[in-house]
Amino acid sequence: MITLRANILNVAVEGMMLVSAFSAIAVGSVSGSALAGFSAGIFGAVITSLVFSIITLRFGAGFIVAGLGINLLAAGGTLFALERWYNSPGGLRPLGFPEIWYVPEGSLSFVPFLGSVLEGQSIIVLLTFLAVPACWIFLYRTPTGSYLRAAGEDENAARSAGINVVRMKMLAVTISGLLSGLAGAQLAMNKLHFFLPNMTAGRGFIGLAATLFGAGHPWATSGAAVLFGFFGALGDRLQAFDIPAQFVLMLPYLVAILALTFSRWRIYVRNKPAKL
Amino acid sequence: MMSAELKGSLNALIAPIGAIVLTMLLGFILVAAISDEPVLAYRELMFANFDSLSNFAMFLNRATPLVLISVGITFAFRAGVFNVGGEGQLFAGAITTTVVGIAFATLPAMILFPFAVISGIAAGAAVGWVPGILKVKLGVDEVVVTLMLNTIVLLFTSYLVNQVIRDTTAYGAVSWELPEHIWLPSIPGIPDATSGFMIAVVLSLASWVVLFRTQWGAEVRSSGTNLRYAEAVGIAAGKRVITAMLIAGGFAGFAGSLYVLGIGHRFEQNFSPEYGLIALTCALLARVNPIASLFTALYYALMLNGAAYMQISTEVPRSLVILLTGLLVLLMTARLARKDTNTQTFDAF
Amino acid sequence: MDHDNILVLDSIGKKFGDIVALENVDLSIRRGEVHVVCGENGAGKSTLMNILVGIHSADGGKIFFNGKETKIRDPLAAGAMGIGMVHQHFTLVPSMSVAENLFLGHHLLRFGIFSDHRTMVERADILIDTYSFALDPEAIVSSLSVGQRQRVEILKALVFDAELLILDEPTAVLTPPEVEELLKVITNLRDRGRTVLFITHKLREVKAVSDRVTILRRGKNISTHITKTVTENDIARDMVGRDVFLTGRQGQDHGMRTFGESVLQLENVSITNSSGRLLLDNIDLDVRAGEVLGVAGVDGNGQTELAEAIAGLIPIQAGAIRLDGTDITHVSVAGRQEVGLGFVPEDRLDRGLSSNMSVAENMAATNYLREGILRRGFVDKDQLTEFTQKGIEQFDIRGAKPDLAVASLSGGNMQKVVLAREFAREPKALLVSQPTRGLDIGASEFVYSEILSAADKGNGILLISSELSEIFALADRIAVIYSGCIMQVLTREDADEETIGILMNGGKEHAA
Repeated sequence: MITLRANILNVAVEGMMLVSAFSAIAVGSVSGSALAGFSAGIFGAVITSLVFSIITLRFGAGFIVAGLGINLLAAGGTLFALERWYNSPGGLRPLGFPEIWYVPEGSLSFVPFLGSVLEGQSIIVLLTFLAVPACWIFLYRTPTGSYLRAAGEDENAARSAGINVVRMKMLAVTISGLLSGLAGAQLAMNKLHFFLPNMTAGRGFIGLAATLFGAGHPWATSGAAVLFGFFGALGDRLQAFDIPAQFVLMLPYLVAILALTFSRWRIYVRNKPAKL
Repeated sequence: MMSAELKGSLNALIAPIGAIVLTMLLGFILVAAISDEPVLAYRELMFANFDSLSNFAMFLNRATPLVLISVGITFAFRAGVFNVGGEGQLFAGAITTTVVGIAFATLPAMILFPFAVISGIAAGAAVGWVPGILKVKLGVDEVVVTLMLNTIVLLFTSYLVNQVIRDTTAYGAVSWELPEHIWLPSIPGIPDATSGFMIAVVLSLASWVVLFRTQWGAEVRSSGTNLRYAEAVGIAAGKRVITAMLIAGGFAGFAGSLYVLGIGHRFEQNFSPEYGLIALTCALLARVNPIASLFTALYYALMLNGAAYMQISTEVPRSLVILLTGLLVLLMTARLARKDTNTQTFDAF
Repeated sequence: MDHDNILVLDSIGKKFGDIVALENVDLSIRRGEVHVVCGENGAGKSTLMNILVGIHSADGGKIFFNGKETKIRDPLAAGAMGIGMVHQHFTLVPSMSVAENLFLGHHLLRFGIFSDHRTMVERADILIDTYSFALDPEAIVSSLSVGQRQRVEILKALVFDAELLILDEPTAVLTPPEVEELLKVITNLRDRGRTVLFITHKLREVKAVSDRVTILRRGKNISTHITKTVTENDIARDMVGRDVFLTGRQGQDHGMRTFGESVLQLENVSITNSSGRLLLDNIDLDVRAGEVLGVAGVDGNGQTELAEAIAGLIPIQAGAIRLDGTDITHVSVAGRQEVGLGFVPEDRLDRGLSSNMSVAENMAATNYLREGILRRGFVDKDQLTEFTQKGIEQFDIRGAKPDLAVASLSGGNMQKVVLAREFAREPKALLVSQPTRGLDIGASEFVYSEILSAADKGNGILLISSELSEIFALADRIAVIYSGCIMQVLTREDADEETIGILMNGGKEHAA
C-alpha cells in the first residue's frame, strides 16, 4: 500500500511473506525464542525488499517482472533450503516451538468492542491494527510521507524540489517489506508453528488487490483487506456445509476480482456523458 | 531472404545471453558451495538431456508447453497486456480437454480428437478473455486479475481432479486416463517425444509472420504501443487487444491440451512446474519475439529437465532451478533496463 | 567583470556523445533586466538552461554568478545560490495543495517530525499577496487552470528568494489571455528587482517583454540585441539563418479565390460531459472544397472535443456530421477515413504516432490497402519501403529511414510523418489540429505551405488552432469557438485581431 503511493506495483510481497514465514520458523525453532523468530521473520522480509529495491531502482528493472522474479527466488530459495538442510521438501515442522505472546484476556477491556476482539489474538495482530493509523499519519502528516507521495505521483516535481526519488521509493519498498514481514510471521507463527513451501498461497496478491481497491489509501485499503479476509473466513464456515473446499478457497480471489471490477465500473458509469 | 526483422530476431537472442551466463555462473558458485561435484552437477543439468533418446524426448516434452505459452504471451505483450495468467490458461485447457476426452470417450477419434483440442483452446481463450475485456472496457489492472484467475482456475481443476474425474486406482490427484485412440502420436524416430513439439515450432514461426508481416499484426502492435494513436488511425484497438488475449489464452490452452493428449495422457494436478510463469520469463528474455521465444523456451526446458538428472547423480536439489529462474528474471530485467537509461540520457538532449 | 552583470557565461561548451549541443556560448545578463534567449528547437536553449540550473554540467567554459566564478552541481545548489527555474513541463504534484507544493522538499515542521500545515499556508498566503497572484494557498493543484499552475510554479522559485528567474518556454502551454497575464507578471517581477531569463521561440513575446535578446543557432550564439532596435524579421533571420516567410496567404487577394461544394458539414453537433454540461453546444460548421476554415479559440473551449467528434473518436449526443454528402454521424473512425477524411491530431505523440514503431509502420497505418502494400494478405516489405521512401522524400523528413523508430526524429519531422500519412490518402476533407505546436519556424513554414497547397488542390480544410497568427496566415474564413459555442464565422477580410480576440474571450456578439 505504501509502495503503491510511491507508484510501484509491489508484486513481490508474496515472496517477502514467504521469506519472512520461513525465517521466522527456522530461527524460532533453533533459538527457541519467539521474539528471535519474529525478528528474523521481519528481518528476512526487509532483506528481500532491499534486494527488490536495489534491482528495480538501482538497475531500473521493471517492478512487475522483478517482483515475480523475487517471488520465484523466494519460492525456490526456501524450497532449496528445505531440501538441503532439513531434507524435507514437504515443509518444516519443528517439534517444539515457542509460543508468541498473545494479548491476555481482559487486558484491553477498557477499549469498547475492539478490545474484546483483540484479546486472545497474537501480538502481531495488535501491531497490524496499530500499523493502519500509523501509516496514515506517516503518509499525510509527516514531511517524509508527503515527499513519498510526491515522488510517487510526479517524479519530476519531486526531483526538482530536491527530493531523492530513489531513496523515497526504496523507503516505500522497505516499509512494505516490513509489513509483509509482519504478515509472514503471523502466518507461520500464529498457532500453526510450521512452514510449508508456498504456504502464502497468493495472500500477497490479495493484499495487492485490496490496495488497488483502496486506491492506495490506508483506511480504504485495510477496509478492503478486512472484507477479503472476511470472505476467507466465511469460506471456512461454509466448508461445514458440504461445499467442496476448493470453491471455498476460491472465494476471496473471486471477491477480489469482482470488487476491483465493480469499483472500476462505478468510475466508468460516473464518467459517462449525460443524456441531453 | 534475410530481412531486417529476422536479423532482429537473432539479435534479440544475443542480448540476454549475458544474463544467462551470469546466472549460470552464480548458480555454479552456489552448487560448488554445497556439492562435492559441481562440474558433474552442471554437466548433468545442461547435457544429460542428450545422453539418451529418452532423455531427449523428455526434454522436448518439457519444451512444448513452454514454447506455446510464451509465444501466446508474446501476442498479449505486443498488445500491451501484461498477461501473467499463462498458468491458469494452461490448466483450463488441460482440464477441459481431459473432461471432454473422458466424458465422450466412446466417440470415434475423428470427432473426439478435434473436439477435445478445440474445447481446450476455447477454455484457455476464455480465461484469457476475462482480463482482456476487463482491461479494455473498464481499465481493471490485468496483472492482478490474471494472478487471481490463476489461483481460481487451479483450485477449480483441483476440485475436478479430486472429486469428479479422479482415477481412484491411482495415487495422488490424477484423472482417469484418456482413451488411447485420441493420444497424440510421438515424433517418428524419437519414441515418447510428443509431436506436439513440431506443432509448437510451426506455430512460433507462423506467429512471427502474423505479428510482423500482416496488417492485423501491425494493428495489434499499434494498439499495444499507443492505444490512442491506434484509435485515431482507425484501428478497432480494443477489439485487437481482446483478440490478442484470446490468442494468448488459446495458445496456453492449446499447450494444456497437447500436454494431456501427447504427454501425460491424463490430467495431473501437479503437471506444471509453473510453466506459465517460466514461459513469461522466456517471452521477456526473447524480447517479446516469437522466434526468439522458441529458443529461450528450449533453453529453459533444458534446465528444467536437466535438474532432474542433476538431482539423481549429485546431491544438488532440483529446486535450484526455480532459484536460478528467479535470479535470471532479476538479472535479465536489470540488464535490459540499463540499456534504456542510456537512451534516456540521449533523449534528454 | 562588469559589476552590473548578475550572470556571465564565458565560452560554454557541451557535447552529448558526438553531437555538439553548445559551442563557445557567451552570455551576460544584467541585473534587473528581462533577457530573452531565443532559437529554434535544437538550437541548444534548453541545454544551456539545464547547465545553469545544474541538471547538466558544461564540458568547457566558465560561469560567473554575482561576479564570482561558480560551479553549479545540481538544482538544489542553483536554488541556494538564487537561481530559480520554471520548467516548461510543470513540476507540481496534482493531488496536493498550493502550499504543500510550494514547500515540497522543505516542509516546515512541528514537533520536529510532523508537517506544520498551518504555518505553510500562512507563509504561502503572504507570498501570494506580495506578487498579487490571486491564488488560494489551500486549493488543490489539480483543480487549477494551466495559467494558475504556472503562477504556482513561479512562486515555487520565489519561495527561496531567487534573484534570477529562468522561464523555459513558459507560454507554450498558455492561452492568449494567460500569455498576456504572464507577460504582466514578468514585468512586475522586473519592477521588484528580479532578473528574468526568458526562453522562447515566439517572436511576438520577444518584442513584447524583453529588454535584450540573445539568439542561438545550432549551439552557437549568433547575436545579442537591444530588443527595441530590432524587428521580428531580424530576429527570425538570425534564428533560421535565412529569410523566412510565415505569411501564408497574407497579402494575397482573397476575393479572387473560389470555393467548391461543401465537403464537411456539422449540424447542431452537441456533446455533454458526465455532469450534463455542454462541451460542444449546437455547433454548425461548413467547410467547402478548396477552403481553409480556421477555428480560433482559447485552448480548452471545446477544440479537442470538436476534433475528436469529427474524427469519430467520441460519440456525439445530438446533431449530424456529413462528409462529402455522406452522413458519417455513426460511422467508425476507419469508415470516415474510407469516405475521405484526413486527421492531423493536436498532439502527435498522443494520437498522432506510435513513437516506438518504425517510420514505415506509422506512415502505412491507414494506407495498407490503398497503396498496395498488402499482397495476398501479407505485408509486402518492398512495397512498404518504397511507399515510405516516397513520403520521406516528398515531405523532406530529415533523419528518417523506413525502419527507424519514430521516437528518434525531432518534433518537426515527426509532424511531417503524420502529414505524409494523412495526405497520402488524398482526403477530401482534412481536419488539422494545432499543426505547428512545438515546431520551430522552419518546420512551421513547411507545414503551412503543405496545408495551403492541399487547399489549392481542392481539399476542404478545417484548421483548429489556438495560435491567432496561424489562423490569420492560413484561413479563408474564421470561426471563433468559446465555451463550446461557435460565436461567429467571419470572412478573412472582415476579421481583425481585435474582433477575434474579443470573441475568443466570450465577448458579446456586437463585435461584428
